[in-house]
Amino acid sequence: MMQGMLGAFRELDATVDAIEALKKDRTGDITVFTPTPRHELEHAVHPPVSPVRKFTLAGALFGAIAGYWIAIWCSEYWPLVVGGKAIATWIPYTVFSFELMVLVGGLSTVAGMFICAGIPRLTMTIGYDGRFSGADYGVWVQCAPEKLKDAEAILRRCGAVEVRGAQ
Amino acid sequence: MATMAHPDGENMPRPNIAKAGLQLPAVKDYEQIDREIMATLRPTKGWFAALAIAILCLIIGGTAWTYQIHEGLGVAGYNPPVMWGVYIVTFVFWIGIGHAGTLISAILYLFRAGFRTTIYRCAEAMTVFAVMTAGLFPILHLGRPWKFFWLIPYPNWRLLWPQFKSPLVWDVFAISTYLTISTTFLFIGLIPDVATLRDAEKNPIKKQIFSVLSFGWRNSEAEWRHFARAYLFLAAFSTPLVLSVHSVVSFDFAMALVPGWHTTIFAPYFVAGAIFSGMGMVFTIIIPIRKFFKLQHYVTLNHLDAGAKLCLFTSMVVGCAYLVEFFIGWYGAVPVEQAYWMNRVFGQWWWAAWIMLTCNMILPLSLFSQSLRRNPTWLWILSIFINLGMWFERFVIIVPGLSHEYEPWQWTSYVPTFVDYSILIGSFGWFFMWFLLFIRQLPVLAISEIKEIVPPKLKRSHAGQVGDFAADTPGDHA
Repeated sequence: MMQGMLGAFRELDATVDAIEALKKDRTGDITVFTPTPRHELEHAVHPPVSPVRKFTLAGALFGAIAGYWIAIWCSEYWPLVVGGKAIATWIPYTVFSFELMVLVGGLSTVAGMFICAGIPRLTMTIGYDGRFSGADYGVWVQCAPEKLKDAEAILRRCGAVEVRGAQ
Repeated sequence: MATMAHPDGENMPRPNIAKAGLQLPAVKDYEQIDREIMATLRPTKGWFAALAIAILCLIIGGTAWTYQIHEGLGVAGYNPPVMWGVYIVTFVFWIGIGHAGTLISAILYLFRAGFRTTIYRCAEAMTVFAVMTAGLFPILHLGRPWKFFWLIPYPNWRLLWPQFKSPLVWDVFAISTYLTISTTFLFIGLIPDVATLRDAEKNPIKKQIFSVLSFGWRNSEAEWRHFARAYLFLAAFSTPLVLSVHSVVSFDFAMALVPGWHTTIFAPYFVAGAIFSGMGMVFTIIIPIRKFFKLQHYVTLNHLDAGAKLCLFTSMVVGCAYLVEFFIGWYGAVPVEQAYWMNRVFGQWWWAAWIMLTCNMILPLSLFSQSLRRNPTWLWILSIFINLGMWFERFVIIVPGLSHEYEPWQWTSYVPTFVDYSILIGSFGWFFMWFLLFIRQLPVLAISEIKEIVPPKLKRSHAGQVGDFAADTPGDHA
């Protein structure tokens, strides 16, 4: 059964040191909590690129097509008297295409963020502490029971103000 | 990326002046940010008084609207062919006000403009409530407002066929999209701050509400990564949206064959005017907020100075558009246009035109003076003139055009009645009521983004190591 160790830090550089030491030691999976995004943490964690952009692209393309479709379909299905001119005209309908591209693209971006970040979340996961939205940083390392001692030692050595285990 | 420096508020002779790359030298640490910004959520007597005034204005407007529904639109001062009056003027005015919020939060975000960080939340909220206010006016403008859903262009069997080539239908799509995306932008940006409120809250009921609103946000690095990427794309979408919405609003006029309206300059002219008026309203709101909540060290003179420069620039763009309009009206050699322009500037509507020119072109030139750009009192007074001038700009566009069309026998006048003025007052009551409720429930400054520009606590001294642990630039994480 996997267990974990949480370290709370007051300082950013101490947090970075702890992440780098834990990664070097291959202690376990690391989750970092930070009150605000920081480049230093990002460089230390070195995460993959967020896939939110794929949701954005798919939503924007769908919205752009839907914008043209709704205008053309309505014009053809309920035709107005146009005196021999085209019933469906793409230039003014580009306005609808653009607006729906932005609307659906924007909303799908948000949906993508929610899906990728795993929110809404009904309960706080193990390892979170309310201090991490204030001023403190947290490093939660999930590892095998035999690695817990090593994780605790690394977190303390790097300057954690509090270290506690959980499962 | 800013350079490394430690905040040292006590020793700085001028704590409002940025120094060594620090935007907020008087803000020392994250605890101070949480403490001071959360303090704005406590109710004060001044807040209750302001809310009472806003609700009173809203009641005045609501009463006038009830009277108008009972008596009919004839009480609104319309005088054919002037069938667009104060309501449409005020509609365009509020749409314009709504532009600065998304400009500041989206366009300035993409340009990495540092001064947006402490003012964008306020501007975003202003945008949402301004567009909500604007959305009321097409309904107020109806004789039978309970049929308002007929405005929505969906296929139906009541023989109401949507005309997709009409700018009015484009407008419905554009404004609905703008309201939705602006609200989403505001709400997404609030999630981390609501999580901060949740973790600091002691009241169990409020804590539960904040827990729901924060969606279980826990500040993990992965959440921030997806958040930053989503925020960047929303900003990228909102940027052309800002430009398109007021362009589409301008098409409501430019597509019509009314003298003074049928001109290709309207789209950029309206967009610049909207940004200008929005900046004016940002100053009207943010300057009292920084004073009454004692947030001068967050919204510093540098921030006001930068905002004032943007205001000056858009004022000059708008002024240029006015002059080009006049020139083309004369140079085009179309007698109807020439007569219209003479009537607008020197004839029947000279007073409205000169209020517009004075407030929007002449007074903002004072912002060439650095001391006035850094004088909050002058900026606030000027912002009132800008709001007034921009309302009159829309009045000068709409009313003189309709009152002085092609046929002399149609030339007429227009005098707003007490119903028009009451509903105008009511719209301000509606706007400020929502805004005041917002600033009491949610942080008016963005807590997590301000933390990005404040250097973090460090275990070791990194003095001299530029770039290692420096104040971040919001947006760089995307």
